[in-house]
Amino acid sequence: MSARDVIQRALGVIRRYDGPPVRIMEVCGTHTHEIFRLGIRGLLPNQVRLISGPGCPVCVTPVGYIDEAIWLALEKGCVIATFGDLIRVPGTEMSLADARARGARVETVYSPLDALKLAKEEPDREVVFLSVGFETTTPSSVISVRNAEEQGVRNYTILTANKTMDNAYRALKGSADAFLYPGHVSTMTGTAIYRELLEEGVSGVVTGFTGAELLSALAVILRRLPEGKPFFVNAYPRVVTDEGSPASRDLVRRFMEPVDSEWRGIGVIPDSGLQLREAYAAFDARKKHDVPPIRGRANPGCHCGEVLRGSIRPDQCPMFGRACTPVHPAGACMVSSEGACAAFYKYDLRQEQQ
Amino acid sequence: MNERITLAHGAGGIQTSQLIGGLFEKYLGGPHFTKDDAAVLPSPQGQLAMSTDGFIVSPAFFPGGNVGKLSICGTVNDLACMGAKPLYLTCSFIIEEGFLYDDLERVVAAMAETVNRVGCEIVAGDTKVAGKGQADGVFITTTGVGALTPGAAPAGSRARPGDAVLVTGDVGRHGCTILLARNSFGIDADVTSDCAPLWAPVRDMLAVTKDIHVIRDATRGGVGTVLYEVAGESQVGIRLRRADVPVKDEVRGVTGMLGLDPLYLACEGCMVVICPQEKVPAVLEALRRHPETKDAAQIGTVTEEQKGRVVVETEVGGETLLSRPTGELLPRIC
Repeated sequence: MSARDVIQRALGVIRRYDGPPVRIMEVCGTHTHEIFRLGIRGLLPNQVRLISGPGCPVCVTPVGYIDEAIWLALEKGCVIATFGDLIRVPGTEMSLADARARGARVETVYSPLDALKLAKEEPDREVVFLSVGFETTTPSSVISVRNAEEQGVRNYTILTANKTMDNAYRALKGSADAFLYPGHVSTMTGTAIYRELLEEGVSGVVTGFTGAELLSALAVILRRLPEGKPFFVNAYPRVVTDEGSPASRDLVRRFMEPVDSEWRGIGVIPDSGLQLREAYAAFDARKKHDVPPIRGRANPGCHCGEVLRGSIRPDQCPMFGRACTPVHPAGACMVSSEGACAAFYKYDLRQEQQ
Repeated sequence: MNERITLAHGAGGIQTSQLIGGLFEKYLGGPHFTKDDAAVLPSPQGQLAMSTDGFIVSPAFFPGGNVGKLSICGTVNDLACMGAKPLYLTCSFIIEEGFLYDDLERVVAAMAETVNRVGCEIVAGDTKVAGKGQADGVFITTTGVGALTPGAAPAGSRARPGDAVLVTGDVGRHGCTILLARNSFGIDADVTSDCAPLWAPVRDMLAVTKDIHVIRDATRGGVGTVLYEVAGESQVGIRLRRADVPVKDEVRGVTGMLGLDPLYLACEGCMVVICPQEKVPAVLEALRRHPETKDAAQIGTVTEEQKGRVVVETEVGGETLLSRPTGELLPRIC
């Protein structure tokens, strides 16, 4: 069947849905972006609501984390190496971009291995990599630490805010009737977690990123929900296998251990984060540089939390499109292209004329 | 031969004369090419159009063209967008010391070939040599004069609700080519710049109907930027069907990988044409007779509602705004 036929068939199922109201949460930032880019929300019946879940790593990183990075840069003179998106995320007082304007060194890298390379090139400077992300990006952070240890690099650390999805699903299970599980993360985790969640009564479908894949997954959900029985379907089997990648999971487990973690807008979720094990404390920026406890404070006008929990639409935040735009973001959800606010701003027709 | 351009070539002495005589005059000389301080030209009937543009593309040589061909296409196409037949061009070179003579010859030969293809003339030029590091390779500025086609008055403010929106070819190919030629992504793909002079197709289109409301070449910023400009200038909405936008498979592959929208990548041989819906079959037929515009297609319509905005009907049938790029677009593409 061609993609076009798949789309038409899925749309047929979706449009015919006349059951009770349902909330479906996508928990992957790339899904969020593609759903907005394709205008999928507008194709759904009124009683079907899509909620953008906490799948954008930049969006769920708490303000205090940005403050920690800025403290390392300005107070300790560390070189901060980071993925580009984080540079513009507002901290309590300022963003890393603002810190850079005050003399901090902040370098954009595309991989933690580039950050390690930077450390080797500048042995007199302390380089800190901002290690954020989910199961897909954590292994590369771990590899950078492993390489640093093997190569005797002493001026390289990572500031961890790595997160894992399994306990997040549990924390969020009351917020949605079914989940669109992430395609990429699932290549690492495998599907065992979704079968466990199924036992706990949580329904969901793993899917890919094309229009045909996303619409098919939604069609499956809308067909199965009225049956009243929890379900799990792997609608992305050509990429996601049951076992996922045990090698990468073992690697991460060797270097990192679970820790309670704060998710911006959601709060602390037990054992939903990762930190380096004690044996690798020399590579943990918090330990090596004695980072003091910092409690970040978000912009009080910002409604990121409600957006992330799906209780309001991005344009229902009073700052949306006025005090908060992709060029001058007030909250993290407007910074990353995977953030619900940025995607809404870029693609949704319902916003006011700018 | 490994001869290189030196500061002496720009100093006005013997080497300068040799460069002008041996290269510029040899390739670009025509009936009105001047050795004096200014070219003297017969004046055409009616109104004139005039345009100027600088070209600093990096790299200077890319699949499908080089900075020389580009410098002629750019100005010729700017004139064509006004419905003007290109007549006379001037060109000004800023060459970095150390630039290979053979490379300069390739650039100038490409200019000559393009000028001949269009049927216009280069009538005057200037050469300066900048010290090593003070320029990058060769920069070319061209200025052109053309004769307006009587009865045609395309302008960005003339789109009307109900009009059809056309592109004269597949989109995003030049930008994609330059991106790959810089080799910063380690992607191999067979993409060739669409760089081409479009006066002949425009001429034939205007021969079919003078009632063309907008012609604009989609260079920097691509088709998407042009559509937003027109929506603003004409105070109309524009509605696109994503599935109808012609994009070469290779370009689609590369942009998909990099998260770019081909609608925002530069074209150097593709124009946006807006005309009354009933003229579309004749216009498309005229365009498709030319190899450089054989893929011309209607991609959307002009609407009364959604003023100032470009709305996309997506490949799954959803409706979105055409997102406007933020952050840095690709520098030095033309």
